[in-house]
Order: sequence, then structure tokens, then C-alpha cells
Amino acid sequence: MSLDYLNDAVARGDNEALIRYVRLHVGDGDDQQGRTEIDKAWVQALKVLLDVPPTDRQFIVDTLANKDQATLAHLFFSLHFHLVNASGEWIHDGRL
Amino acid sequence: MTAGSERRRQLRPGLWETVNERYPGAMISKTDTVPLARLDKPLADARLTFISSAGVQPKGTLPFDVVHPVGDYTFRRVPSDASPSDLEIHQLKYPTDGANRDLNVIFPIERLQALAADGLVGGLTSSFFSFIGYNMDVKRLEATLAEDIADAVVADHAEIALLAPA
Repeated sequence: MSLDYLNDAVARGDNEALIRYVRLHVGDGDDQQGRTEIDKAWVQALKVLLDVPPTDRQFIVDTLANKDQATLAHLFFSLHFHLVNASGEWIHDGRL
Repeated sequence: MTAGSERRRQLRPGLWETVNERYPGAMISKTDTVPLARLDKPLADARLTFISSAGVQPKGTLPFDVVHPVGDYTFRRVPSDASPSDLEIHQLKYPTDGANRDLNVIFPIERLQALAADGLVGGLTSSFFSFIGYNMDVKRLEATLAEDIADAVVADHAEIALLAPA
């Protein structure tokens, strides 16, 4: 899929095409694996918070308040792969 | 030169048509040809550079951005006299097990060093060039990354460029 394809999807409001692209990206070209990877990241994020460990809430507040949306979106993708990596169930051949 | 004779000078006539046939809806929509330059000196006198999409980079340099959904349009210089132990791979989109055991299978730096030492090529540029192949914006790829690498290759006085996909 090309960037033109994605921009066309945005223009026609085809969110299914966009999320499928995300699934293919995080699933290394496998749509169903992408769903699994997205779930895996959320499960990992939940697991590490279950004991309510101390977190740097001020960092989160400052980051969300002060960083631009593109940086935050980039961080979101980074966190996905980081959490999947931390889960120990790494399907990707390479490394971050 | 006619269009027909230009097409015959292509390393592989019909390359773009083949790509588009195999990957319908893919990023490549080019219909133009790729001009080739003929080598005007013996290989043994020519300085060689290597350009790779393998995501190989010197340890300690900023890792390639393998998470961005639209890609990373930067490149890294890899010293041509580097040892594989000085280098690492940041790439998610191809199997790297073999390359992590022997980097030469994807980035043949020691083979090229040997070719230069044996005099089969005239020498190596001071740097080789590496980027990641996961780039969805082909226009940006051409306008920035490809041009930036081309400029760097020229500045490095390359006379032959060996390109290898990952």
C-alpha cells in the first residue's frame, strides 16, 4: 500500500482501510497477526499497572500538554512496539 | 537517442511493469526508465561504494525508525573499513537471524574489503550507505533519501555503486 492509497482512504473516510494498514504494519504483513499484536500491547500495558506501581504522572501530563500531536502519535506507535517487546512475545525478526 | 534505444540500455527492461504486475496497488507507479552510466575504466581501477536497504548502522548511532507507519527517510554512513562487530541491524521487516550470525549475508562488508585488498576493485569509498526499505511515500523517498544518498555517494568519489535490497 502506498501513501497515496492511505490519503485516498482518509479523503473518503475509509477508516477500515486505515486500521487494516496499521494491522499490516504491526503484524508484519499479516492482518490477523496485527490484531493479535495490538491486543498484546494493551494486555502488557494493563499487566504492568495492576499493582498500581508509582508512575511519573507529571511526565505524562507535561508530555501530553506540551508535545505536538505528531510526536505523540509517533510515541504511540513506539509504545506499541515497546510494550510488545516487553511482553516477551516478539514476532518480529529484527529489533527496535 | 530514441526511446527504443534508451529502453535497450536498461539493465532490466520492463522492470517497473514487472513490479506493478506482481504487486498491484503497490507504491511503485513509475513508467519512466532509469538512465544507466557506463563504466569508463577497468573495474580494478574503479572506486566502489555499497548502498543497502538492510538497516545496518554503526553501533551507537541513532537507530533507524522502524516503528513509524510511513517509514524513515534517513540514511546512515557505514565506514567501509568497519568490522561487522562495529555494526548492528535495526529493521523489523525481514528475517535477520542469519545476518545477526554473519552480517556479510546481507551487508557483505568483509567480502568487499577483500575484493579491494585483492585488487579486483580499485578501492572502496570511505563510507558505505544504509537505510531501511520500509518507506511508503515513494515521492519523499525519491526527493529526499535517494537524492541525499546520491549526493553523498558523489561527494565520496564513488565510481561504481553496488545496490542491494534487504
